[in-house]
Amino acid sequence: MVFVALPLVAAFGLSLFHWDLLSTPEFAGLDNFKQLVSDGATIRAVINTFVFALASVVTHIGLGMLLALGVHRTMTRGTKYFVRTAYFFPFLVSWAAVALIWKYVLDPAFGLANYYLSTTTNWLASPTWALPTLIVVDWWHTIGYTFIILLAGLQTVPAQLHEAARVDGANAWWRFWSVTLPVMSPTIFFATVITFIGAFQIFDPMVIMTQGGPDGATRSIVQYTYEKGFQSFEVGYAAALSLVLFVVIMIVTGLQFRLSRRWVHQ
Amino acid sequence: MGPSVKGKLLDLILVLGGLLMIAPLVWLIVNALSEPIDAFQLPPQWIPRPPTLQNFQQVPDLIPFAQMAWNSLQIAVLTTAGALLTSALAAYAFNRLRFPGRDQIFSVLLAALVVPVQLTVVPIFIMMRWLHLVDTTVAIWLPALVNVFGIFFLRQYISSIPRELDEAAIMDGAGHFWILFRVILPLARPGLTALGIFVFEASWNNFFWPYIFLSSPEKMTLPVGLVSLQGAMGGGPAVVLFAAITLVVLPILVLFLIFQRSFIASIASTGLRA
Repeated sequence: MVFVALPLVAAFGLSLFHWDLLSTPEFAGLDNFKQLVSDGATIRAVINTFVFALASVVTHIGLGMLLALGVHRTMTRGTKYFVRTAYFFPFLVSWAAVALIWKYVLDPAFGLANYYLSTTTNWLASPTWALPTLIVVDWWHTIGYTFIILLAGLQTVPAQLHEAARVDGANAWWRFWSVTLPVMSPTIFFATVITFIGAFQIFDPMVIMTQGGPDGATRSIVQYTYEKGFQSFEVGYAAALSLVLFVVIMIVTGLQFRLSRRWVHQ
Repeated sequence: MGPSVKGKLLDLILVLGGLLMIAPLVWLIVNALSEPIDAFQLPPQWIPRPPTLQNFQQVPDLIPFAQMAWNSLQIAVLTTAGALLTSALAAYAFNRLRFPGRDQIFSVLLAALVVPVQLTVVPIFIMMRWLHLVDTTVAIWLPALVNVFGIFFLRQYISSIPRELDEAAIMDGAGHFWILFRVILPLARPGLTALGIFVFEASWNNFFWPYIFLSSPEKMTLPVGLVSLQGAMGGGPAVVLFAAITLVVLPILVLFLIFQRSFIASIASTGLRA
């Protein structure tokens, strides 16, 4: 309770003050929240986070589903073992290590990426490419998780249902659409919610790889909260920002649960 | 195309994709094992020649690596042990005991599941500063001792264990602790293992919290230490950084290869990602 409920209430309280951690806190009313709405950097961070989260969900669920379908077939043991392990490996590596490795992979002078893509793009320094690049790195890091969850869901689809549909003359696409997808919908829903929440809290790659740059192009909500709270010591403003994150997560998750009634098979 | 040709083609695509996935990790290890002069060549080398361990020997000159590994281990073990114990006690209380307000307290707890740690970090930082615990490992494991998800997860698990077993134990004159530790927890072992792996992995890899709370190198955990090493090197030889990253990554990958089954089961059952 001390570490969950109390901080939640404290965050609400702090957001009503101006405080630099040293002098006495000064009551500010709704000042911090007014500043939120007019602060261009906040708006940018919120947009970046939404873009990141949306792209993250689409690429994780879409490609994760393809991967799970690709692996859930007759395959030699060795191939299956290799594929499953290879896609899952990066998930075990801590974000700190992932971000550092990729900084070098993406290095414009001696990195792997540009050598094989034969370009000279400086991915992390480009306002256009920096955010998409981080989306790719995040995908590399966490697709193993989505893949395992979706594969576990796929394995729960009863083979008899497929057989019955086949007897009725349904082709592969129709069987996927009318059998696999409805049976798997709770798993897909679960993976979507978890991916969304995880993506909204993204922080590590921004801090380690781009510092939010170039020019705020990759700054996320959490990273901005960190900058305000622990670098420029505007504690009240940071608390207000973290409340924004909380509210956004609540709304999006709530919305997903509401929408899920239409497509998730109970 | 016949179905078997199509199958082989799909296998090939998946295997090529798999190779692409592990390529950065292979590149990491190859460079860590290369002499500075042979590293980072283009076209990329996939076999270190001649392999050398000199980069690994240089790691302790730049960061207190052993101390950081010890900090990481200490924090992960305390967090895991603490989270398992408190979760088991709380889960038992919420599932087996009757006390006023039980269900209300539990729903408040459920709501806490959706509170992101980023919201609690500012107030907890202030709390820790007050207690003079900033830049100590205590600041990392203390708030992690209570794991809301763990309580929720184990409560689900315990609720599937038949109550007749408790009643039989009560007949024999057993108290709550005896029932919990001798009857329930042995039966909840798969759940405890899954939760334990999950908590340990999350703690071992955590960056956000230690990055905010720890600033002296000898207090840092490995993930924060790696980032500080990168900062400290400036334009120094990246091979040493790669050696340090390898030292952090390799044990986890080897552990995974050994315990793959329980690892995957942990992910599939807890369903959470770190």
